[in-house]
Amino acid sequence: MAHVRPIATTRSATGIPTARLAVWWILASEVVIFGGLLGVYLMHRIGHPEWAEAASHTQTWLGAINTFVLLTSSFTAVLAHQAAEKGKGKEAAKLLGFTILGALMFLMIKSYEWYGEIVAGYTITANNFWSFYYTAAGLHALHVIAGAIIMGFIAVDAYRGRELHRVEIIGIYWHFVDVVWIFLFPLLYIAK
Amino acid sequence: MSENNDSHDDGHHINYRGIYFALLILFLISVAGPEVGERLGLPWITLVTAFGIALVKARLVINNFMHLAWEKRIMKWVLATSVILMFLMVAGVAPDVMNHEGNNWENLAAKEAVQRGLAEAAGYSDGEGEAEGEAELVVAAAGFSAATSYGQICATCHGAGGAGDGIAGAALDPAPANFTDPAFWNDPIRTDNLRERVLTVIRDGGPAIGVSALMAPWGALYTDDQLEEMVDFVMSFRPDE
Ligand code: HEC
Repeated sequence: MAHVRPIATTRSATGIPTARLAVWWILASEVVIFGGLLGVYLMHRIGHPEWAEAASHTQTWLGAINTFVLLTSSFTAVLAHQAAEKGKGKEAAKLLGFTILGALMFLMIKSYEWYGEIVAGYTITANNFWSFYYTAAGLHALHVIAGAIIMGFIAVDAYRGRELHRVEIIGIYWHFVDVVWIFLFPLLYIAK
Repeated sequence: MSENNDSHDDGHHINYRGIYFALLILFLISVAGPEVGERLGLPWITLVTAFGIALVKARLVINNFMHLAWEKRIMKWVLATSVILMFLMVAGVAPDVMNHEGNNWENLAAKEAVQRGLAEAAGYSDGEGEAEGEAELVVAAAGFSAATSYGQICATCHGAGGAGDGIAGAALDPAPANFTDPAFWNDPIRTDNLRERVLTVIRDGGPAIGVSALMAPWGALYTDDQLEEMVDFVMSFRPDE
């Protein structure tokens, strides 16, 4: 009895490749997680006038730069997908590398931002606004970290011309992380 | 490309660069929104540029980068179900979270959180951005003055001149007491043990004298002597008759 690799990728009742089906399922659950979190924030923000003062201390420019960074990393991620579709593994790997760089920049800016806030006394326990701020942005940052790590593995494979279809899969996930930030940005930084 | 070669990869060509530039332009508009809104005195512009644009951006990314537009229909249904469930959840709890009282209930904790927050905010906005927890110390340490303390804490609701017209007060029901109204002082519930009553309400909050909990307890902020000074200060608003 030799060890046989399961061939899940070829078995699909929906007509969607299994890996892509799986990532969509993950995102379906993420919609509820992040959607619920943001919905709860909106309700509290409206019901609690005192949150306005706390919200006015978030640093719009840092949030804006990070929005730009994530949008750009989404762009390189989709270009990587395009390259992978044409079978250009090396180029896909390079573009994934840029995306990872974007993730690192995002995290560095985020750390700098949080550092300043924590030093100024705006910690997760300061009040409900800051609790939410760190919970939502923190959960999002965890997704950025996870995405960057997975992307690293996929980039290495892609460089060797292996498992190119995964480039699209991680891309879909990455764009979702971008979409979450697209909503977090106005909620936490713009509408004050 | 073997196992990945399904319908959705063929037959559509997306101008990724174009989408990216569109996203950047939308992003710039959303950042500029509040400035424009402020200059034109139209605060709702911010809402449109912030959330309207977020929706458009999300749509662009989802359709063109995630290729959901070309995905099999079943996947759209699965995702739509998630979105609908999320909205159901939010809509279900929204009335309880956004209101702090209803026909037969009152959320005292939420109300107290509101005025504690407002009072803190008032104490800080003119300070040097001290950490929240230090508010009390600041008030207590820096040579106490009832007028200053009133200005920092009570004025948000009761108004700088004591007329019950503070910025936060406008939103409250019942309205904060108006100390410049003779009727307030002449009300029979106050005439008997006026000083006692004012002191109790400042120290222990509205419920201690049977009025609204929107008037929070401030006892923790003051020593006994300082409390007396606060009472004097509040009573100084009383118009001569
Ligand atoms: C968050 C808003 C708020 C703040 C801040 C606040 N109050 Fe009040 N206060 C109220 C409201 C509302 C009432 C009216 C309660 C009622 O009529 O049911 C009230 C009532 C009072 C009364 C009248 C009680 C009575 O009915 O005899 C006094 C005296 C008073 N406040 C003093 C103060 C002082 C002193 C401070 C600052 C240390 C202060 N308040 C801060 C909201 C506030």
